[in-house]
Formats: sequence, structure tokens, C-alpha cells
Amino acid sequence: MDTTYQVKSIAEQAADSLNVGILPTLGYLGLALLLVAGLVVVLGMGLIWLERKIAAHFQCRLGPNRVGPFGIFQTLMDTIKLLFKEDIVPMRADKTLHLFAPFLALATPVLILGVIPYGPLQQVADISIGVLFVSAVGGFGVMGILVGGWSSNNKWSTIGAMRAGAQIISYELSATLALLVVVLFSGSMKLSAIVTSQHDGWWVWRAPGVGLLAFVIYLISSTAEINRLPFDIPEGESELAAGFHTEYSGMRFSFFFLAEFINMFVAAGLAATLFLGGWMPFHIGDWASFNAVMDLIPPVAWFSLKAFFIIFLIMWVRWTFPRLRVDQLMHLEWRFLLPIGFANLIAASLIALTNFYFYPLAGN
Amino acid sequence: MALVSPKQVRYERRSIAGREIPVAVAPTLPRHSVPARFFSGLYSLLTGMKLTLRYFVKPSTIVTRQYPNNRETLKFPDRYRAALKFKYVTVRQPITDWEFPDPKSPTLRLPASLLRDWSRGYEDASYHKCTGCKNCEVACPNASIRVVTRIGEVTEDREVDRFIWRMDSCMYCNACVQACPFDAIEMGHDYENAVYDRRLLVYNLNRQAGPPASLVTEEEDITVRRRMMSHRERCGGPIPLNGHALPNLHALPVTPIVDASTGSIERNSEAES
Ligand code: SF4
Ligand code: SF4
Repeated sequence: MDTTYQVKSIAEQAADSLNVGILPTLGYLGLALLLVAGLVVVLGMGLIWLERKIAAHFQCRLGPNRVGPFGIFQTLMDTIKLLFKEDIVPMRADKTLHLFAPFLALATPVLILGVIPYGPLQQVADISIGVLFVSAVGGFGVMGILVGGWSSNNKWSTIGAMRAGAQIISYELSATLALLVVVLFSGSMKLSAIVTSQHDGWWVWRAPGVGLLAFVIYLISSTAEINRLPFDIPEGESELAAGFHTEYSGMRFSFFFLAEFINMFVAAGLAATLFLGGWMPFHIGDWASFNAVMDLIPPVAWFSLKAFFIIFLIMWVRWTFPRLRVDQLMHLEWRFLLPIGFANLIAASLIALTNFYFYPLAGN
Repeated sequence: MALVSPKQVRYERRSIAGREIPVAVAPTLPRHSVPARFFSGLYSLLTGMKLTLRYFVKPSTIVTRQYPNNRETLKFPDRYRAALKFKYVTVRQPITDWEFPDPKSPTLRLPASLLRDWSRGYEDASYHKCTGCKNCEVACPNASIRVVTRIGEVTEDREVDRFIWRMDSCMYCNACVQACPFDAIEMGHDYENAVYDRRLLVYNLNRQAGPPASLVTEEEDITVRRRMMSHRERCGGPIPLNGHALPNLHALPVTPIVDASTGSIERNSEAES
């Protein structure tokens, strides 16, 4: 308990430096912008490459290996290609909305990127209602898809968009129920406070059973929320051409594509933050020497390790599981995940009341 | 997953529409409870994940062949059909005449091994097995084969002059190979056959015109053997649409074929058929 991390987000540092002058503040704000923009670019390129590579190896293939060592520049080249492609707007489409939708879709995950704590000092804004913000903005992500699908003036796009709406709104419930479990345990909605509350152990194992169940529910429902296989009903390649982005081409298509991958990182980062302790090293209660060894690894490395572990898990599931049908999807949510989520929430509140944790909270 | 074992199936006769008909009756499968189905489903999902993880961590499971880089090590299944080709019988024959073909002859390339063999007094010669019976020509459903025969100078009998195979209309059905009574042709594995002009896909399959190996090897005198066979170029037949031109497709210029036995130059013309 005596190890204290100085937790300070970039926004707070910018506010503090106002006392010194306007220039450091602007510097901090620029740093924040650069951080998020750089993260989006690097994640977009890296994750798409990673997905292709990992998918290939899951399917006994090699994946891209021509451009650069192990094909790492393949995504870069694809981006350049997409930049130069013609941007087609279908006839009688709602042009304004059609052109605007991809940015809407990308805005959501980028907004959430700003509140995820990557390390004690590497966070853009640490808002006190972090969890609420995440679930509210996350639910807003469906707008980009709905607008894009509807404005395309294409039946497949519209069906895909409607399916996306139904799916995301349904699974939002389970995801939020799972988030609430952690909020109950840590007694805070602030993401950095949730991380520091896992100093003695991650919620996934510290709350007996309940944490793990909430983690699994969150993983399933967030996979559904980001429309990834096995829940890719809105795209439904076999029945809907490409679903909501059938009519998109060139750069705007790549924005949807980028949004999908940033969404995946956001889901993985949130799962890591809430259940796997975020940037917090792996600690076990009062094993001081073990904890000291774990502290040697820098917090940002811990965060990336956990996030990429979950990303790998999501990809692994994607390339293994069969797809769900629309009715099976709704069946799974409303008849299984939601009741289990509610029961889990009640169990969690009992545990939080009785302080029945491994390594009980000191304060309670 | 419950499966019906053969022991559970009952066989009985039922009267259906006034007739006695034997039927096999399988028991109705029990529908398992929700938890049982849940866990069996979970188990099968985990089995799948185990399998994909095995693929992921084991590089030996990769099936991708990086084609242009692996030309040397490419292996084809035996039944792979890429191009029709002649089968050749290689015989080692003592050289008695010591009259070598002109080494400067453009159609003659002399590999080092040949020179070595000559210095030891023998040479390896390859003879085809085709008798020119035209069974393959008849068998081909696409008329992709045309066997041109001639009356041999030495044998004074009918023998193959040109075996013309049109790759552009062949569908690799293997019928010609099966029709051949002399096992003279086979489906080869030469796979890089792309050309810019389909007229170039008309091939002369035989390297030499002449009687089949069985007849050639009966002849003892190597000089006579040489006179039996005359050289044929791979693309040197009455090619491109059998020498005709299309409105916007000209007949290709054909290099003259030097007949090795007579030294005469053949023009690209319709040979006797
Ligand atoms: S493979 Fe079939 S189509 Fe081709 S030449 Fe032989 S018989 Fe004709
Ligand atoms: S290839 Fe066989 S079937 Fe065809 S002409 Fe020659 S011997 Fe006859």
C-alpha cells in the first residue's frame, strides 16, 4: 500500500502549468493531440497488419510478407493506394450524411482513446465519470454506422445499419452491467481510480468468480459491440455484400475500417483497465518482494501487454468460432447474457457489502 | 453430441400404402438439458480454439507455397496435368560412324556430358514411342491433336512426322493419354505456359520425326538410325491457326526447319496428312 503512483493526466498537467504561462499549457495540449493522433495512426497500421498476420497463421497461411520485413509496410502501401482511389457517392444518396458518416464512426473510438489511462502520467483527460463517459460515447458509435448505412440509398446498407443498431443497443446493456460490477468493487467511476484500486490484485481474480464472469461477459458483449466476428451481423459478408459500408470506397471506406480496429483496441484497453489492472503491475496482496520485482516493468509496458493479450484473444476467437445468425445473436443477449449479467451484479453487490475479497480492501 | 449407434437402429416391416415395406427405425434422440448443451457447446468451441492455436504456434502447418521463389523445390502430385508431352526411351548406343553432327549447327546444342560420352565411344539417344496411329487424334473431344504422318525414307512405312498439339483448346481431359495403345504420351508437369499470343500455344510435341523406339532399336547401324530420325522444333510446325491469318492476327514468321537427315530446309507449309 505504501507504493504510491503519482497519477496525473495530461489535462491536469496542462491546467497546473497555466500558473507558469500559456506556452507550457499549449505544449501539453499539443502533446495530447499528438499522442492521440499518433496512437490512431500507429494502431490503425499496426493492428491491421497484426490482424492479417495472425489470421494467416491461424489459417495455415503466411500473410503479407512482400513489402518490408515480414510485410510490415503492407498496410502503409494499402493506405496510400486507398488515398488515391476514387471516392464514389451513389446516385440519390444523401450526400452530406454519406460523406460525414465515416468521421462520425471514427470519432467515437478516438474520444474514448482520450480517457484511457495508458500509464500513471500517460492519460489525456481523467474525468470523474470515466465509466459513464465510456459507455455513453461507446453507445454513440452506432450513429456512424446507422447514418452511413441509411444515407447510402442501398437496401443492404440499410439492413446492415438496422442490424447494427439492434445489436449494439442490446449488447450495450450487458457491457454496462459488467462495467458496473467493477464500479461497485472499486467505488469509483474514475478510470485512474479504478486502476489504483487494483493495487493488491486485479478485479478479474480478486473478487471470487464474479470478476471473472463479468470479464467474460464484457469480452463477449464488447466483441459484439465492435461488430467483429462471430458477431459480424451488420457486415454479414455472406448475405449483405458488405453491410453498412457496401457503398463506401477509397478513403471513406478506410475510415470505417480504421474505426473498426481502433474500436477493437478501445475494447481491449478498457477490458485491461477495468479487469486486468490497466497499467498496474501484477501484484499479490502483501507479497512485498514479488510486487517489487513486478514493479520493475514500466506501467505503459504492462498496459500494452494486457491490451494486446486481449486483442490476440479477440482475433483468436474471430478466426475460430462460427458466425451467429441474427436471431441467435438476440437470443444470446436477451436470454443468456442479460440475466446472467443481472445475477452477477447482485452477487457483486453482496461481495462488495461483505468485503469478501481476496486481500480485502483496507479502507472498508 | 449424441449420435445413434448402429446397435440402436431397429429393422422392421411396416405396411405403407397397402404394401409391406422394410424400414429402419432410429430412436428419437434425447434433447439434452440447457446446462448440458451449454457445456458441450463450450467444449466444442474450446476444441476449435485449441486447434487454431496449434496452427498458430506450429510453422510446419503452413501450407502456403511462395511460388516464384520455390521453383527448384516445387513438387507436383503425380496426377497434376499441365502440358501434354512425349515419353522418350533413352538407349545407350555405341558410336560406330564417328561422324559427329556439325557442332556449329544452330539446332544442335552439345552438353558437356555428351562430349564426355562421345570420347568414351557411346552416346545416349532418346527415341519417342509414337507410331503415328492417330488413336489420340480420334479420341480428343476438342480436336486439339493432329498427327501428321509421312512415309519414312528408311522404313518406307508410315511414321509420325509432326505431332501437333494445340494447348489453347486442350481441356486436359487425359483422353488422348488413355487412348494411346503404345504409351507414347503423358501429361507432363511443365506449368509455366503463359504466352502473349495464343498462336504460340500450338506445339510440335515430337523432337524427332521418325519411327518409334521399338523399330529404331532393331536397327544395328547407328548411321541408319540417324537417317531414320529428323529433327523437329517445338514451335516449328504448321503453326498459328495452322498457318492461316485472321483479320487482325497475322501468321507468325516461322524459322525454317533444317532436316538433320537430308540437310534440306523445310518451309512452313501444310505437310501431307
Ligand atoms: S487432354 Fe483431352 S482435350 Fe487435351 S489433347 Fe488430350 S484428348 Fe484432347
Ligand atoms: S501418341 Fe499414341 S495414339 Fe497418338 S498417334 Fe502416337 S501412338 Fe498413336
